[in-house]
Amino acid sequence: MKEVIVEVIGVDPPCKRCQATYKSVEEAVSTLKEKDIDVKIFKLNVQSKGTIAKYGVLVSPALAINNVVRIMGRVPDRKEIERLILATVK
Amino acid sequence: MAEKTRYVRSIIMLIFIFFTIGYLIYSRIMAYSLAPTMKPADFHGLPLWQIPIAYLIDYFSHGWICLLFAFVAAGLVYEFVPKEAITKYMSGSKVTGYGLAIGMAPFLTVCSCTMVPLFAGVLYTGAGIGPAITFLLMAPAANILSILLTGEMISWELAGVRIIVSVVVALAAGIVISKTPWGKAIEKEHQVNSSSSISKIEIVKPPLDERLWSALKFGGYIAKQILPFFLLGLVAVSYVEAFLPEDIVGSYLTGISGILLASVIGGPLYTPTLVEIVLGKGMFDLGMSKGALLSWLMGQPYDVANALAVSRIVRWKVVLTYMIIAWAGSVIFGLIYGILSGSL
Repeated sequence: MKEVIVEVIGVDPPCKRCQATYKSVEEAVSTLKEKDIDVKIFKLNVQSKGTIAKYGVLVSPALAINNVVRIMGRVPDRKEIERLILATVK
Repeated sequence: MAEKTRYVRSIIMLIFIFFTIGYLIYSRIMAYSLAPTMKPADFHGLPLWQIPIAYLIDYFSHGWICLLFAFVAAGLVYEFVPKEAITKYMSGSKVTGYGLAIGMAPFLTVCSCTMVPLFAGVLYTGAGIGPAITFLLMAPAANILSILLTGEMISWELAGVRIIVSVVVALAAGIVISKTPWGKAIEKEHQVNSSSSISKIEIVKPPLDERLWSALKFGGYIAKQILPFFLLGLVAVSYVEAFLPEDIVGSYLTGISGILLASVIGGPLYTPTLVEIVLGKGMFDLGMSKGALLSWLMGQPYDVANALAVSRIVRWKVVLTYMIIAWAGSVIFGLIYGILSGSL
């Protein structure tokens, strides 16, 4: 079992595009489970000082995998997230 | 196989994009208007319910390409503008901060949900309150959608003036606020050390077809957000044009008092939905002066929803300061433009 941490970085309260990103991640997670990858999803607020101290200014929605921001300012689809996570785990 | 599908998909989307651009250019060459062509007199004699319908048909029969182009362009620019530049350089010096705020804001903020978070981000990361305020004011005033629509519906001269004035006002507000004691206090309070962040960004570049699709989808998303209000705005404008007597507009919305009035009523009415452009065009047709029209269009800083969100971060003193500066800017530049263009 491999563990991956995915952070969905958006505004709070979530905007539609951040929600869509979160949903794509959730969809990807269920498929990845079958491949024996355990994904932990966290929600980060793009506006919080903690997030900014960690990553700097981001354009929401953004997505970080294992503490590296891979996507920002757009909504990725399920397949792309799967690809990214698989590439990270390898 | 997958490569081939990607290729075909890219081609189809590119054809659509080039069609949109090409058709817009064609319409420019043929020189027909992309704005509503009905004049106030055309509405007389129409039954009440027919006025907005006639106006909408009139507008969409030739204006659709302008809207389509605006949304496609906004989506494309948003997708392809290098967003990570903000993360990389925003924490640098003040000058880069201001430069980026002015250069990037127009492209990044077609969607209002990104603006306040970016404002907070810029404020926290070291560029400080000056560039943050510049960013905040620059964003709605001169974003790509409103500039395209101002240009097509009213005039490109006004669109150009709107950009220049937005830059000047946004810079002035940013610099002034960064010098005030309350501005400095906020900046100190919010400073976050994020020097180690840069290594943590490795943006992936998806294949072209996915990027194009994402761009078009985003264009559609903005359209869905804005068009309902835009349509309501057009309906409102049709009644304004039909029933607002020209002598009222001519006597109240011209001259120095006209600029003051336009800057005051334009503000609270402002909604980041392009309605202000249509409404401005309607009033302009009825005899509003060019100076007053510019003041009217510069009312964005009063955007109430944003001001509320921002005041939660920087408190009301800063909000009030930038509102006053932006208001003064809209009046001063309204006057200057009115005098220079001979339409006060």
